[in-house]
Amino acid sequence: MAHDKRPLSPDLQIYRPQLTSVLSISHRVTGIALSVGTLLLVSWLLAAAAGPQAYSTVQGVMHSWLGRVLLFGCTFSFFFHLCNGIRHLVWDAGYGFELRTIYVSGWTVVAASTALTVAAWFSSFVAME
Amino acid sequence: MFIRSSDELPGVTVLRRFPVPRNFNVSADSRIERGKTWHAPSDATRVKKFEIYRYDPDSGQNPRIETYEVDLDTCGPMVLDALIAIKNDIDPTLTFRRSCREGVCGSCSMNIDGTNWLACTRFISDTAEPATIYPLNHLKVIKDLVPDLTQLFVQYSLIEPWLHTTTPEPEKERLQSPEDRGKVDGFYECILCFCCTSGCPSHWWNGDRFLGPAVLLQSYRWLIDSRDEATGDRLDDLEDPFRLYRCHTILNCTRTCPKQLNPGKAIAAIKKMIVQRRS
Repeated sequence: MAHDKRPLSPDLQIYRPQLTSVLSISHRVTGIALSVGTLLLVSWLLAAAAGPQAYSTVQGVMHSWLGRVLLFGCTFSFFFHLCNGIRHLVWDAGYGFELRTIYVSGWTVVAASTALTVAAWFSSFVAME
Repeated sequence: MFIRSSDELPGVTVLRRFPVPRNFNVSADSRIERGKTWHAPSDATRVKKFEIYRYDPDSGQNPRIETYEVDLDTCGPMVLDALIAIKNDIDPTLTFRRSCREGVCGSCSMNIDGTNWLACTRFISDTAEPATIYPLNHLKVIKDLVPDLTQLFVQYSLIEPWLHTTTPEPEKERLQSPEDRGKVDGFYECILCFCCTSGCPSHWWNGDRFLGPAVLLQSYRWLIDSRDEATGDRLDDLEDPFRLYRCHTILNCTRTCPKQLNPGKAIAAIKKMIVQRRS
């Protein structure tokens, strides 16, 4: 029967990315990144417990170019997930559903998480000097 | 950037579509191929291109994108006018649903330039060049721009969208104060075009069990109707891991509603009702 062979119309492949869907998927991606990032933190703690040699090895990795990129990703993931999490809490309380508010809160999350990430890195560089 | 109302077009375009392959995660039967181009007559001055999804169940072939060049001097101002012009003058096999041509019936909902809207209330001048037109997302296609809405209407019937009463019939009508009547404003106006449900990623992945924004908006419309006496039963039916709670507040629904309604707000209000009746 022709019915069974009916094609499925495209969805993700053609739907326009919007602030709504992009922030939603970013919330998930940063959540997963944070879980993976926790392993990074645990490996650092384990190395600290294991002794000075293991610790300096992990420190070396963390200070490398790749390590810094990963840490920067973790920092951004943390602040984004935090800010967007607050946005979700407000929604769960039943507020902030007007389209204008959705967009204002969405761009606020983007701006705040970026600013907090930059501030965190800036202050840690200042502290290291 | 700061969208106020769902009829606003996106101001800036960073990405027209998500960075995935065109036929990403698509079964062999649903893969979209390139079709032919129908050129405008050589004397046409204002030519506009429309890339339209075509699928003919009788051909045994895969869906394809065909390009139509429409002479705007021979065509009305809306996307629906262009589709009618194509059907009348270029390719009579093009199939789509339409009825009222003024945004009241909800028949001509489709994916225009990547978002769902009614073809009759979208100006051709507001579309991209070329304009891309697909059927509503993630539904079985019957032909061209006509998707199978059976599942969505079955889900609609599941919420029993009519007045439930246990008290005896009054002599005249069941009365409602203007304040109580006002509570369904913004919810009863839904025309069931399913732009929101078919634009909801959560409904794409869990459409077999998640009711989707359109149906949940309607559910809320009956939950807050002061004359309805089955509020508890209605909430019981929704309290399920999938039917209601697969809404993850993505809010594509509120962004796309061609009637400027707010399904996202209605769903949040239902979740709140369920929490409040426990305390």
